[in-house]
Amino acid sequence: MKEITKEVLEDAASRLMFEMSDEQYDTLENEFKIIIKQMKLIGEIEGVDEAEAMTFPFDVTTDYLREDVAETPLSKEEVLSNAKDVCDGQIKLPKVVG
Amino acid sequence: MSYLDLTIKEMHEALVNKKVTPLELTKEAIARAKSDNNNAFETILEDEALAIAKELKEPEVDNLFWGIPIGIKDNFSTKGILTTGSSEILKDYVPVFNATVVEKLLKAHAIPIAKTTLDELAMGGTGTTGHKGMTFNPYDEKHELLVGGSSCGSAAMVANSIAPFALGSDTGDSVRKPASYAGLVGFKPTWGRISRFGLFPFAPSLDHVGFFTRSVEDSAIALSLLAGRDLNDATSSIKPVEDYASNINDSIKGKRIAVIKEVIDSLNDEQIKKAFLASIEALEKQGAIIDYVSFSLKLLEAIYPTYMVISCAEATSNNANLDGVKFGPRYEGNTYQEVMIKARTNGFSELIRRRFIIGSFALMRENQNDLFLRAQKARRLIVNRVNEILSNHDIIYVPAAPTTAPKINASSDRLSDNYLIADNILVLGNFAGLPSITLPIALINNMPLGGNLMGRAFEEKLVFNVAKALENEMGLYNLSARKVK
Repeated sequence: MKEITKEVLEDAASRLMFEMSDEQYDTLENEFKIIIKQMKLIGEIEGVDEAEAMTFPFDVTTDYLREDVAETPLSKEEVLSNAKDVCDGQIKLPKVVG
Repeated sequence: MSYLDLTIKEMHEALVNKKVTPLELTKEAIARAKSDNNNAFETILEDEALAIAKELKEPEVDNLFWGIPIGIKDNFSTKGILTTGSSEILKDYVPVFNATVVEKLLKAHAIPIAKTTLDELAMGGTGTTGHKGMTFNPYDEKHELLVGGSSCGSAAMVANSIAPFALGSDTGDSVRKPASYAGLVGFKPTWGRISRFGLFPFAPSLDHVGFFTRSVEDSAIALSLLAGRDLNDATSSIKPVEDYASNINDSIKGKRIAVIKEVIDSLNDEQIKKAFLASIEALEKQGAIIDYVSFSLKLLEAIYPTYMVISCAEATSNNANLDGVKFGPRYEGNTYQEVMIKARTNGFSELIRRRFIIGSFALMRENQNDLFLRAQKARRLIVNRVNEILSNHDIIYVPAAPTTAPKINASSDRLSDNYLIADNILVLGNFAGLPSITLPIALINNMPLGGNLMGRAFEEKLVFNVAKALENEMGLYNLSARKVK
């Protein structure tokens, strides 16, 4: 497992596309100390490594196809109604290529 | 006593007998909402509610939600109505469709009075982290005590008799814990029993739609309306919907109820322990057979870290779409990355950003085995133990919280090194996806305390049946802050 350092956390924040203050990183480092210690203790529980990872409480199976009924989807205007900068039916962002 | 102080069932009878009209109920609910000082609301839907109420003329005898004022937690999409998730990043978001549960309530002619506050994006348990600040407990006029979260506004609304029903969502205990602090019945069904289409996802393997009422029977009535398969939610179950209130008054004689020893042992407060033990006696009086079972201290201590890792990991990917581009406040920037970084830095509170980093770190390839996968494996062991107990018991019964509503500064959303077994026990219901109900069992210094019953998957009827027997014995039916104060 990666060692927790401020650089590692800054890298994670940058990939998540937000910034944090030094004080916030300090809080986070302390939280990590706790969680990693607790997860190590979990690793000592008998049978944990052999257990099957649980991704959902139980399977919900859908084994039929819906009827092929024509529906009216959302209009372009509706889909874009919450975007702040719209031009010609598209969302506008700063130029990527000069 | 106003008609608005009644339960859904009683209010329905008053509507059918024309003792009160939907318009009168709505006007009073709006007036109470406007005078509320607990910070329970994101938006009060005055015009919308009055417009619906004015159209309702002839009562529908078999439709118990006809003309009933309700609240909706502000992480359920409501078409044309602001839906913020109590987060700055969605402070101006107006959905273009209704969540399935909202649609069902509107079709039943229930009257939404307000969108209610929550912990930001439902990721908290205190009711203090929403973008509009803390939500207070209506039982405490001094505003020193939590109402709990994340469904804080819905809990405060129903506890203050502004409506007899409000929608909530429950990923760890976000309906059932505040229900304990606010003297309410708080319920979440089996995972998949109610469609989650239109609910902002937090951690989909744990997320449930839940709700608050002031009686067990109202909760059963609400499930009958809201349950069912939804083509818009592939995780919704195809099992037929039942009339969940039909056998609610059956005897519980001979029902086997498991009480977890380690949870009782972990209670520090003698008054709480005494109240909980008295409620066990009440169940015995009704004919239930009580067994004290050991769960495994190590597995109980594993609940909270397991929950943190899984929920944060799921949350970080589910909220990746909140980028200030498709919706949310737009910031200026020279690159699209700058636009998004500004939106996400300003849009999420510190707590949410910390949670996302924990989740993201747990998901990194080199950390997965030690964190995310280990948590999922621990979840399996914990759920296996729950199901083992339920293989020879009908119900698991625990205190819904280790204390009555805590003081605001005594509780925080920062990770703690202490194992708080009784504080996190309700997560078992989310890990295993089992039906679980909190109901008031005591008033201690005029503050409520709840007990929680959990049953086998899709056995909601039995859960309501046992809960009703307990409600009958404890005598705290239709409790509200207005009554107690």
